[in-house]
Amino acid sequence: MTTASLLPALMQLALLLAIAPLTGGVMRIAKARFQTRRGPGILQPYRDLHKLLKKGMVIPDTASWLFGAAPYVVFLSSLLAGLMIPMVAADAPLSFFGGVLAVVYLLGLGRFFLALGGLDSGSSFGGLGSSREMTIAALAEPAMMLAVFTVAIGAGSTNLSTVAHAALGQSWRFFAPSQMLAFAALLIVLIAETGRIPVDNPATHLELTMIHEAMILEYSGPYLALIEWGASIKQLVLMTLLVNTFFPFGLSPAWAAGGLPASLVWYVLKLLLLSGVIVLIETTNAKMRLFRVPELLAVAFVLGALALVSTFLF
Amino acid sequence: MTLSPDPQFGDKLINLMAALVLVLQIAMAGHRWLVTNIRIFGVQPFLLASIAATIGWFNHAPHLYFAAILTLALKGIVVPRLLEQVVQRVGIRQEIEPLVNQPLSAIVSGGLTLLGYVVAESFHRPDAGGAPESLGHNTLAVAVSLFLIGFFMMINRRKAVTQVLALLSLENGLFLAAISLTYGMPLVVELGVFFDVLVAVMVLGVLVHRIREAFDSMDVSKLDQLRG
Repeated sequence: MTTASLLPALMQLALLLAIAPLTGGVMRIAKARFQTRRGPGILQPYRDLHKLLKKGMVIPDTASWLFGAAPYVVFLSSLLAGLMIPMVAADAPLSFFGGVLAVVYLLGLGRFFLALGGLDSGSSFGGLGSSREMTIAALAEPAMMLAVFTVAIGAGSTNLSTVAHAALGQSWRFFAPSQMLAFAALLIVLIAETGRIPVDNPATHLELTMIHEAMILEYSGPYLALIEWGASIKQLVLMTLLVNTFFPFGLSPAWAAGGLPASLVWYVLKLLLLSGVIVLIETTNAKMRLFRVPELLAVAFVLGALALVSTFLF
Repeated sequence: MTLSPDPQFGDKLINLMAALVLVLQIAMAGHRWLVTNIRIFGVQPFLLASIAATIGWFNHAPHLYFAAILTLALKGIVVPRLLEQVVQRVGIRQEIEPLVNQPLSAIVSGGLTLLGYVVAESFHRPDAGGAPESLGHNTLAVAVSLFLIGFFMMINRRKAVTQVLALLSLENGLFLAAISLTYGMPLVVELGVFFDVLVAVMVLGVLVHRIREAFDSMDVSKLDQLRG
């Protein structure tokens, strides 16, 4: 890698690390306001991470090396996936490394290790959470792949930078039914993958139906900080994927100093809008029974399949 | 005219709305609650009316506006009201309880959509989208899918009210096929069809009431138990 391409990579890395907890903070406070509560400060996720990183750790006696490896894999895989998607410029720093399939399965790798970590702790809650997480992942993945293939067929490539360039070239592409259906399918997948309310409750670890929180119940201190940070980066990666492939307005075509500030403003605006939509869904819905979640994901699957079919029709 | 109609734009708009109608139909097949089902059904005519109005605008066919207004008034407002009244009067349970469970119904509907596309593919002309005369021809596949899913819902459901709903959504498919292929039938025919639907809903409402009185249930599978 030359120095010319190193600078964008470092910038995107810094952006990922900095914005990811902020997105979570914004969503948390927006949700609190919707429920007429005051809510924590917008910087609360940073304070949480700072506190956790300073603390000591308690590691279960039954845990093996996997317990310690899982947080690093979770954190690094989501970071790597984040470098492969276009954030503020259409050229992603690591786009030569792989396309959208690599992004999806890097996130899958992180999830796999998180589930292993949950099982490795030896507590019954960890196993419960891992089993639930993998069930949901297995159902969400086909829907996600169908939607992703729809986008890839529209652009003629699975490389996300090519997709972003193609999307920039075609104005009003979102009007096509296939794109709209794929967006709806991916939105449901996003909610399921990031553990948002109709599927999982991100705010509590006091429910018997918890999924993500059950897996990481035995983690503490810096390991927990890494997992939480990794989870927020994963959420940011999926949200960026959604806003930049379907609504590429304002995306700067290349890493040139002139277009970047405007592009960054657009990016933040689009993220805020998507966060608002997710918060609206979270506040207006009740959490589903665990056995109803497959129904929601079946809907996402059908939407994805329809999107793929209508690519060939309209 | 200042607002120059661009058929390409109209074509995209119609495709988008047709796709939305299809999504609503699948949502109906996959949804659990009766009242929500009636409300989803109530949204469909709005989209169909907009499609009719768009085709009428681009082809300068004013009689399509009548069809659009009638669809909106009858199927969008009157029929859902009537159905909700029937549901309230009969006081049936809210859950639909189909023969095939909901997620599977949604997936079967997806499969039927594929079938619809295969059937309609021979009529598909991708390069004809530019001319105003061929506007909306590509929605035939959506219309065929609407019939098929409507039939499936009728077979799949046990209660009379839900079957009426399925019949009406099937009729929406017919309407879409009619306006997209022929720029609407003559107004007399349209009027006939609309009043047919209205009368059908009223008669079925009464029938539902009678079934309920005679059998203490809405389940049509009990109709074979004769009373002496």
